[in-house]
Amino acid sequence: MKINPLQRQLNLLDYALSSLWRRRMKNGAILAIFAFVIFLLGSFQLLSQTLQSSAEELLAFAPDITIQSLVAGRQTPIAANKIRELADMYGITASSPRIWGYYFDHDNGANYTVLGLTEEEIGAMTGVILESGRLPGAPGEVAVSPAVRQSLDLAGRSAFSLFRPDLSQASFKVSGLFSRETDIVTGDIILMSLADARHLFAMPEDMVTDIGVKVANPVEIDNVARKIAGRFPETRVLTRAQIRKTYQVVFGWRSGFGSVCLLAALASFVILASDKASGLSREEKREIGILKFLGFQTTDILALRFWESVVVAGLAFLIGLSLAYVHVAFFDGGLFKPVLVGWSVLRPDLSLAPSLNGADLLLIFSWSVLPYLAATIIPAWRSAVIRADTVV
Amino acid sequence: MTPVGRIAPGPVMLINSWGLALCIISLCVLFLVGTALRSAVRVLRYWQPGSDSNLQIELENEIWLSSTLVEYGLGFQMVSLLIFIMAADRFAQMIKGAMCATGSLLANDYGAPLLVVKLTGIFLYGFWIVLHQLDMRAESYPLVRLKYRYLLALFPLLLLETTLQTLYLTGLSPDIITSCCAVVFGGDKQLGQNLIGGQAGWELMALFYGLALLLFSSGLYQLSARRISPGVTYVSGFGWFVFFILALVVITIVVSSYIYAMPYHHCPFCILKAEYDGIGYPIFVSLISACFAGGVTVIAVLLRNVDGLEETAGCLRRFSIRFSLVMLAMFLALSSWHFWAYFIMGGEY
Repeated sequence: MKINPLQRQLNLLDYALSSLWRRRMKNGAILAIFAFVIFLLGSFQLLSQTLQSSAEELLAFAPDITIQSLVAGRQTPIAANKIRELADMYGITASSPRIWGYYFDHDNGANYTVLGLTEEEIGAMTGVILESGRLPGAPGEVAVSPAVRQSLDLAGRSAFSLFRPDLSQASFKVSGLFSRETDIVTGDIILMSLADARHLFAMPEDMVTDIGVKVANPVEIDNVARKIAGRFPETRVLTRAQIRKTYQVVFGWRSGFGSVCLLAALASFVILASDKASGLSREEKREIGILKFLGFQTTDILALRFWESVVVAGLAFLIGLSLAYVHVAFFDGGLFKPVLVGWSVLRPDLSLAPSLNGADLLLIFSWSVLPYLAATIIPAWRSAVIRADTVV
Repeated sequence: MTPVGRIAPGPVMLINSWGLALCIISLCVLFLVGTALRSAVRVLRYWQPGSDSNLQIELENEIWLSSTLVEYGLGFQMVSLLIFIMAADRFAQMIKGAMCATGSLLANDYGAPLLVVKLTGIFLYGFWIVLHQLDMRAESYPLVRLKYRYLLALFPLLLLETTLQTLYLTGLSPDIITSCCAVVFGGDKQLGQNLIGGQAGWELMALFYGLALLLFSSGLYQLSARRISPGVTYVSGFGWFVFFILALVVITIVVSSYIYAMPYHHCPFCILKAEYDGIGYPIFVSLISACFAGGVTVIAVLLRNVDGLEETAGCLRRFSIRFSLVMLAMFLALSSWHFWAYFIMGGEY
C-alpha cells in the first residue's frame, strides 16, 4: 500500500505525540526548563524592545537642538544671553533657556527630575496630557506626576517644600497633575517656571543648564547645529536625532549585555537537552528495535525524533513566550527592569504595552529553538541507527 | 560638533541581541556541518560499495547522520539570511546616516560580501540536498563520493561566511557615518530618472522581460521535446544565473521605486518592510526558488546517465522545469504589478 507523503508525516507526528506522552515525566521536565529559558530570553527581548520604542516618547521634552556649555569636558551652566547671539542665525524659529536638573529627596531616596522652562515654552507644550489642574503659570506653581505626588506624600494637600542647597526651603504648590498615560516621559518630573527652578538650585542670575533651539525645517537641523557649534566652539551641541541614536545604542547594548548573561542559561539547557536525548533506556532501545522489525527505516525514526523535537520546542516556545508577555505587560518586566531602566531611582508605575512583531519572534526563535534542534540531532541519529537484532 | 554617540567602545553590535543571534546560528551551523564533515572524510577514505563489512554498514549509517545535519544546516542558513537582513535593518537605527539595511550593510567593507556569500550558500547547500535525495533513491549510492567531495568544498565557504560575519559585526560602530539608500542607489543621475521615462530604465526592462520570455519558452520546449537536449538545458541554466543577477538589478533600480511610489527611492531592502506590506518577501522567495529550480534542472540532466538514476533524474528534471516556470510566473507578476499599474492605470494601486 502506498500512502502519500503528507499522510505519512501525519502518522509519524501522531506516533511522536503518543511516544512523548508515554514518557511524560522526562519530556515534561525538559519542556518546563526549556519554557523557562525561553521565558527569560523572551522577557528580556520584549522588555528592551518596548523600552526602545518608548525612548521615542522620552524625546517629547527634547528640543530640536540642545546647547550645553562644557568646562573640562563636564557640563556647566551656560549664560542665557547667548540666545541673543543666535537671533541672527537663519533657520532658527525660537530658542529658549531651560533648567534641567535632578533633585535628590533625602527623606525617601527618590530622584526627581526638575524641569524649569520659560512661560512661553510651558504654554506651547504639546505631547503632555494633564489629568487634572493646569500647567504652572504663577510663581511657585508646579505640575507633577501622580508618582511624584505619592512619593512626596502629599495625600490631599497641594503645598510642599524642597530644600535649596543652603538648606533653606523653597515652597511650591501643585497646580496640575500629569496623566498616567505619559508616565514614561513624566513619571519623575516636577515641571516649574524657569525662575523657580533657578531659585531652587540657587543658580546665578542669567545662568541656565542648557539652551533649546527650535529649527523651522527638520532637514536643516544638522546644518544649523554645525553652524551653532562653529559659533560657540566651547559648547556641546546635541540634536534630537543624536539623542535618539544614543538611546537606541544604549538599549541595544544593555539588552545585548543581559542576553550574554542569559547565554549561560541557554548553554546549560542545550547540554541538558542533548544529554537527556542521548541517554536511552533499555525500553526505548527495545521500542526502536521493534519499530525496525515492523519495517521502519532509519529516515522514519529520524523523522519521528524530528517531530518530537518540534513538538517540545514549539510548546516550550508558546508557553515561554506567553509567560514573557504576561511578565512584561502585567508585571512591568519586574525581573529585568532594573537592568534596563537604570538612570532614575523613581519610576514606580511605568506601565508597558509590549508589541510583538515577527522580527522579535524570529529572533527569540533563533536564540532558543535552533540550538535545541542542533543539540538533539546527533542523539536522534544514534537512536535511529540502532540495529534491531542487537536489542530485541 | 562634539559627537555624543561614543557610549561603549568596542564591538557594540556584536553584543546586540541581533548580532548574538547571528553568532549563535553560525556556531550551530559550524557544529552541524563540521560533524557532517567528519563522516565525509571517513566515507571518502573507506567507502566500498560492494563490501558488507561492519565498517561499511557503519558508514552507510553515517550517511544518514551527515545528510540530516546538512539539511538542518540549510534550514538554519535560511533563518540566518532572514535574521541578517532584519538585523541590518535594526542596526540602521543605531548607525549615523543609515536609514535602512543598505546603510548598515555598507557601513563597513564586509557587509555586502557577507550578503553575497550568504545568498550563494543557500543555493549551494540546496544543490547538495538535491544530490543527496537523488543518491538515496538509487540502490547503490552512486553519488556518494561526489556528494562528499562537494561537502568538503563547501566547508571553506562556511568558514568564510563566519569570518566575514564576525568581522562585519565587530567592525560596525555607531560612530561611523554611512549613506542611506537614497545616496547609494540614487547617485547615478541616469538611474534616478526612470520614473519620468529615462532611457536606461526601458532598455533594462526590455532585456529583463526578453530574458524571462526566453527562459519560459526554453522551459516549455524542454517539457514538450521528445529527446533531452543537454545543450538547451545548459544554456538556459546559464540564462537562469544571468536572470537572477539581472532581476536583482531590476528590482533595485526600476521596480522598487514604483513600489515606493517615489522616483528617487531605489532600494532592494525597503520593500521588505511592513510599510509596503512586506511584498519583498514573496518577490525574493519566488525569484530564488525559480532560479534554484533552474539550477536543479541542469543537475538532473548532468546526472541522467548515472547508473540507477535514469528514472529519478528524469522525474526530477520534469518537476524542476515545471516548478521553475510557475515560480518565474509568480515572480514576474509580483514584481511587475506596481510597474505596470503605474503605466496602465496611471497611479498607485
